[in-house]
Parts: sequence; C-alpha cells; structure tokens
Amino acid sequence: MARSLWTGSLSFGLINVPVALYSGVSDQDLHFRQLHAKDHTPVEIHRFCAQEDEEVPYEEIANGYEADGGDLVILTDAELATAAPRKTRTIDIESFVDLPDVDPIYLDHPYVLMPAGDSDGTLRAYRLLLEVMSRTERAALGRFVLRTKEYLVLIRARSERLVLTTLLFHDEVRPAKDVPTPTKKDKPSKKEVDQAVALVEALGCPWDPARYEDRYQKRLKRIVGRKRKGQTIEVPKEEKQPSPVPDLMAALEQTLGEIKSGDRKVPA
Amino acid sequence: MPRSIWNGTIAFGLVTVPIKVFSATESKTVHFREVHAKDGSPIEHRRICPKEGKEVDYDEIVKGYEVSSGKWVELTDDEIAAAAGSQSKRLEVDHFVPAADIEPEFYERTYYVGAQDKGRDAYALLHAALQRSGRAGVGRWVFHNRERTVVLRALGDVLALHTMRFADELVDPADFDLARVSRKPSDREIKMASALVEGLHAEFEPEEYEDTYRDAVLDVVKRKAQGKNIEPPADEEPEAADDLLAALEASLANA
Repeated sequence: MARSLWTGSLSFGLINVPVALYSGVSDQDLHFRQLHAKDHTPVEIHRFCAQEDEEVPYEEIANGYEADGGDLVILTDAELATAAPRKTRTIDIESFVDLPDVDPIYLDHPYVLMPAGDSDGTLRAYRLLLEVMSRTERAALGRFVLRTKEYLVLIRARSERLVLTTLLFHDEVRPAKDVPTPTKKDKPSKKEVDQAVALVEALGCPWDPARYEDRYQKRLKRIVGRKRKGQTIEVPKEEKQPSPVPDLMAALEQTLGEIKSGDRKVPA
Repeated sequence: MPRSIWNGTIAFGLVTVPIKVFSATESKTVHFREVHAKDGSPIEHRRICPKEGKEVDYDEIVKGYEVSSGKWVELTDDEIAAAAGSQSKRLEVDHFVPAADIEPEFYERTYYVGAQDKGRDAYALLHAALQRSGRAGVGRWVFHNRERTVVLRALGDVLALHTMRFADELVDPADFDLARVSRKPSDREIKMASALVEGLHAEFEPEEYEDTYRDAVLDVVKRKAQGKNIEPPADEEPEAADDLLAALEASLANA
C-alpha cells in the first residue's frame, strides 16, 4: 500500500475526523537515470556547502530567504512550521459548493482521503461524512497547508471513499484578457456556425477515458527495446506549420461530406 | 502581452485553426533556497559517482533506462525526443465529448489558446461551435517533445487547452481498504449532517479565498530577521469526537 503524504484532521463543524492523504495518481512513466558514461554507474546527487566544499548532512540544511535589502534570513523547518500551525494539521471545511460551478482551470492534483487509525469514533465520523457527501452533488470546499504551500481543496465522494482535489488560488490563474482573440469582423455567419456545430456533433461521442492510451510512453518503450537490440533510432524532422484554409465553409462542407459518404472515420 | 509558448495549428476535419498557446496558471509559493544552517552558505547539488566517490562532470553523464537489474540501455536526448512522434506543429482534434461529463481527476494543467493573425475567422468559428454544442474537443498535442492527450473547450472569449491524465494513471479510491464499523450512521445523524451541509452551501467564488499562508510565512521571515525568537506551537493531537450526535447538535447550533 502506498505511503500517506500527510496525516491530520478533517474538520467539519465541531466534528474532527483524523485522516491520511494519499496521491490519486500513480506514475506510469518510464524513468531515465543519469549514469556515469564510462561504466554506467548511476550517479547520486549529494548536497555540498559551496563555501566549505564539504558534503552537508540533511539535518544541517535550512531554508534561506533573500529579503528585499539582499539580507539572507535563515529559517529551520520547525520555524517555518510556526507560520500557520492549525492549517498544517487541519483541513477546515468552510462551505459546500456545486461541483459543476468549479471551472476545471482551478483543478490541480487529485488525492484520496482515508480515515487515519481504526478507532470506532474515527470510522463512524468518516462514514457519516461519506454517506452525506454521496447523497449530494455538492463538494466540500476547505483549505490546508501541504508541505510549504497552502491549497484550496475540494472534497467529494467517489467509489465510496472521500477524494480530495487541490485547487489553485484565483491569483494563480492568469487573466485571459491579454490572449489574442478574434475581433468582431471575424465573427462567423449563422450558416457557418450551424455547419461547424453539425461537424462537432458528427464527430461527437461520449467521454470515455479508457479510450485514450499514452502513445508517447508506448513509443518510448519501443525505442528502448530497439536501442537494446542495437538498432538505430530515427529522429523525426521538425515540421512546418500547416497553412490556414482559404475557404472555411468549403472545408466544413467537404468534411461533412466525407463523414456522410463514409470516407472519414467517426468515433463510436 | 505574454509570450506564447507554442505556435501551431488545430486541425479538425479539413478545418485548420492557426493558434498560439499561453500559460494560464502560475504557482505563487514563497520560495526558499537551501542553505547551510550554521552560516547561510549556498548549498550545491553535485553529481557523485558512488563507485569512485568523486564528482562527475556533466559531459560524462548519459541517460539510461534500467531494463534489468544493473543492465542499462543508454539513450541520447534526440532518441528520447523521437518518441514525441512527427506531429510537432499540428494539434489534431479527433472527436468532441460533452464537456460537463469529464471528471475533475483527469484535468492536469491549463493553457490559453490565442488566435494567430491569419485564420482568426477559423478560431472564432471553432469557439462558437464549442460554446453552442457544450462539447469539448479531444486531441493530441506534442509539447516539449512529449505527446499529450488534450481537451479543448470554450472558456469566456478564449479557448482553454487542458492536458489530461490517462485513466491508467489514476488510482481507484476503492483500492484503499475501508474498515467496517460496528454501527452505521443513524438516520438522525445523516439528517443532521445533511442539514449542516445545506447550511454551509455557498456559490463557488474563488476571489473570496486568499492564500493567507504566504503572508504568514513572510511574517515569520520578518520576525526572524528582527532577531525575534520563533516559538514552535504546542502539539495538539486532534481526536475524533466520541459522541458524534452531540458534536452534530453543537455544530448545528453554531451554524
């Protein structure tokens, strides 16, 4: 079983549930190591004091903050932990919001939240929250500090467990106003939008995440296999950007025609 | 004007939309650097060959994948980059799914899509079609030598591009064992807890939440700089309430 990343308390009204946090993502990537070229010994990263040119044990490392005047302020982890002691130990549920109202742009990382320990009081409080959350479309909104960052979090029921997703704060989402968008004179005609919607619907299918596979990791595995056998790996050349179509309406109609005649594959 | 991080073309059917991609998010953590606690000297990360006990220069380093214990296959950066595939300037949208059906767990990172000077009409058309249909385009995007599955949807006046996690990367919460309880929550407990949830219902207004921890950290930095003593807080272990019903009643009375 995976190790918990954090343990603390989930606080809801006057109810406290001791909980442990686990990552909701399991890394499936191929990982490469840095090797010493001459004999393929994996190299290790060690921490050295630049001043003394000596290796420094982990306990002797602290956090340095460069203040405005250039002065260095040194803080130990213990001192840093005094910044917001409650928040580092407690997820305080502040409100309950409708999940569809949370724009995906705020979503950060998924986790699973499990009861910590097996006392009857803990388990019953966890079950109660789970039961109530399963009956509603609402997600609990709270916040806490994980490592050295505060997160806004969403908690909801999934597969009969509580799951937590960290969210970005609003000032971590950049405003979209500087992104170049079309002007009024680029506005499509109603007929063009009708055709484009018809194309989107013709290429429509249900959301089925199992449909997508990580082709990149698959190719990477194949490359490792070929290299192992001593084969050469061809590096694809940089492509040129395709040019825009001169006639949008014609492109839409031709694509719809290809779908109709069966020349273009549509998703199941 | 922010700098774009990728220029290329969205293709759906025979329609092409020339685009520029911009970062939509940024982390705002207070950053510290590792220092030697006793005098604040900078800490360097050095590559050490454990066999020789010596530092290894960067030009003596290669990348390897361990195919079996102690047996490594060496790959150059170009060979690793070859896995990206050939569609380096083309973001192919294969199909369109109901945007509201995508579970939150799949969203990884968000980018904004901007229009290029040429083909702004195609951008406007795609935006209008996504907005009206409520659908999101699913496609593949090669960025930083890596192919990702992406979702494209209308967000206000712009198109948002999300990199997505794969289904096999997500942990099934049911894989975690949940111990049984002697007594299930009673109807009364559920009713009261539900009332508490309803009482705390609110609109999601992200602007109402500020990261106060950043300020708290900077305050500790300031106090330390003034030579003040930083006291560790007393340990308090939170405990589960013994009497759930009493805690619920008290919570409702407070709400």
